[in-house]
Amino acid sequence: MKVICDRGALVDALALVGRVVVARTPKPVLTCVKLTGDADTGLTLEATDTEISVRLASPRVEVGEPGEALIPADKLNAIVRESIDATITLSADGDVAEVTGSDSKFKIYGHPPGDYPAAISFPGEPDFTINAGDLHRLVAQTLFATARENSRYAINGVLFERTGNKLAVVATDGHRLALANGKCKATNKDDKEAKSAIVPTKALQLLLQLFDDAEQNVDVKLADNQILFKTDDAVLASNLVEGNFPPYSDVIPKDGDKKATLDTDGFISAVRRAALLTNEESKGVRMAFSSDGLTLSSRAPEMGEAEISVPLPEYAGDPLEIGFNPAYLLDALKVVDENQVHLDFKAGNKPGVLRTGPNFLYVVMPVNLQ
Amino acid sequence: MPGVWGRKHYDFGVTVTVPNPTTPTDRVILHVDMDAFFAAIAVLDDPSLEGKAVLVGGTGPRAVVTTASYEARRFGCGSAMPMAVARRRCPHAVVVKVPGERIREKSAEVFAIFDEFCPLVQPLSVDEAFLDMTGSQRLLGTPVAMARQLKDVIKRRTGLTASVGVAPNKLLAKMASEMDKPDGLTVITSENVDAVLTPLPVGRLWGVGPATEATLHRQGIQTLGDLRGLSEAALRKRFGDLGGSLYRRCRGIDARPVVPDREAKSIGHEQTFAHDLAEADEVRAFLLGHTEAVGRRLRRHGCLARGVTVKVRDGQFRTVTRSATLEEPSDRTDVLWARAKGLFDAWAAAGFVPVRLIGVSAGPLTRGGEQLGLFDAEDRDKRRAVDAAADVIVERFGSAALHRGSARPSRRRG
Repeated sequence: MKVICDRGALVDALALVGRVVVARTPKPVLTCVKLTGDADTGLTLEATDTEISVRLASPRVEVGEPGEALIPADKLNAIVRESIDATITLSADGDVAEVTGSDSKFKIYGHPPGDYPAAISFPGEPDFTINAGDLHRLVAQTLFATARENSRYAINGVLFERTGNKLAVVATDGHRLALANGKCKATNKDDKEAKSAIVPTKALQLLLQLFDDAEQNVDVKLADNQILFKTDDAVLASNLVEGNFPPYSDVIPKDGDKKATLDTDGFISAVRRAALLTNEESKGVRMAFSSDGLTLSSRAPEMGEAEISVPLPEYAGDPLEIGFNPAYLLDALKVVDENQVHLDFKAGNKPGVLRTGPNFLYVVMPVNLQ
Repeated sequence: MPGVWGRKHYDFGVTVTVPNPTTPTDRVILHVDMDAFFAAIAVLDDPSLEGKAVLVGGTGPRAVVTTASYEARRFGCGSAMPMAVARRRCPHAVVVKVPGERIREKSAEVFAIFDEFCPLVQPLSVDEAFLDMTGSQRLLGTPVAMARQLKDVIKRRTGLTASVGVAPNKLLAKMASEMDKPDGLTVITSENVDAVLTPLPVGRLWGVGPATEATLHRQGIQTLGDLRGLSEAALRKRFGDLGGSLYRRCRGIDARPVVPDREAKSIGHEQTFAHDLAEADEVRAFLLGHTEAVGRRLRRHGCLARGVTVKVRDGQFRTVTRSATLEEPSDRTDVLWARAKGLFDAWAAAGFVPVRLIGVSAGPLTRGGEQLGLFDAEDRDKRRAVDAAADVIVERFGSAALHRGSARPSRRRG
């Protein structure tokens, strides 16, 4: 194999696939990235940790000699990143690879390309297609709410639930729940049955980086306990999280009778400031809603107290006091794409709901005010 | 809303212990002040000083007296006085140095006793603290009985005496502890507050320093009774914000909460048996009784525990402790019990031997609001209601009246 590459493009591609590569593994081939040079498809990079696999085309290359190479990812990454050249040449013969620049030549001992697990493939027709920008939004608005570990439910992943052309993406850590709704295009018009899958957070973190061109379309397919995402230049495949997602629609309150509307930016600023006087011992920010406005207050023992007033363009219902972990509020407010947010409450010990239009909903449990 | 957060604790005490919840209940605040602390330690360490005039401090030309014993105070010696002056006033006084390490050691002993009595301790210095004992009446008796018990324990365990003031707030407690030193016990209640305060010279009011005192004297105000004769407006005109505070203070009004700067680290119950218990189920029953009691104390003090520790001592006096962290801080008996039982069962499974002592403690403690969960709301509300209902019954009738089926109630009340 011999390929001349634009160094900048190669650095980006290696950084992306490098996120999948595991540093410590009993199988040395898994520390490698697989390069394939092909006269038609150019240069393709592949990596896998056996749970998640990614294949990505690196643009701006000239294939001199087709072939394959299997090279330790961290070394190749570092050499290309540190290089001073605009273009570099990758060549390989069996398990030995060379990286050549204008004033340098690196010889790296890799592995025989045949030792690498089978290349990922996207079998047949997709189940549905979705605009990459929409997919990006659905994932970004939910991914943050996943749990790190939870024994009772499979919530260390994000639930994809599709019915026909409607896609709902849900994540929760047991304290808050984020739900984003979007549209997709089912390949088969008669495909109306609800289908769901829980996708690991690591795969979706990669997805956010991989599919950042909002104009592209992404093909999506569920097959053999895997979910596959495909664009013109990348394929991402991930095993699904096994287990049950909690009955999330049961915990979305529908009976909130105290309703507030707030300016997103002003609310973010107020929550951030109130959070300054919280600590590990007293995490909650107290929020007092009434038709006069919203007052946020916090108190950290031995440190001090804060009080911030926020205008409420709209408030309906009896006055309410409720406490929240400010980090949970900020997580959601950061992914809101509207100028205003709507809040619904029932009582100080019942979940609060934050919404922006029909496409984003966030349920957050309060903290008990002491 | 300053103060609102801290007051929740007292509200809880009101709803549980007072038949008519609309009657405001006085808080029970103790101010504990060790008597001539440094000098008393010197005497403790060198009994030959007993009954003598003792000055604690350095001997250099610029040294000052840190503490004078009561015998030396009779000659006009006092804290912060230049040592040279004190020696002139009381030439026969013995001057001693007490190492800082020794002071910290005795101070830690005293504060450990405070922690046993009460999770809400606000230290003012090494030898002085406020204790908020509101809601502890069921456990420790009347406020006077609590104070007496505290003084006794301090005397017995440290060999030192303390003066204690008992009152419905910090201001009055602090003034009360000064009224009968040394080894004093003074109670100010909302009934006797007027009688106690009015004859006092204004200089005795906490917060009135020499400058304010002189100003007041110039206006012919000698006693707190005189001060009470002035309107708030007149006081504000003369003293600004301080005037408003003087107006309230001379009437014994002070709403400031006791703010602990280091809370009790844990709440625990343990029990040594007259005969070693040979059955694991029997031990479990006692452990459950103690866990119920620990849960009640957590809830009464408005604390949450981050973890649970079980302590087992066997017939051969071998002691093991096993700790586990809770998923989230809790004051729920069922949550504490799940962990305590798990720890004990793991110990028993590894080789049960007859048990001489079983104990459980919950800690470290936090007052941070408990983050509620999305998927256990119904179950949680139910458990919480069970705890709250049980607490009311136990508060009134004692732990023998109500406990979980398999539990042997903790012997201690509460």
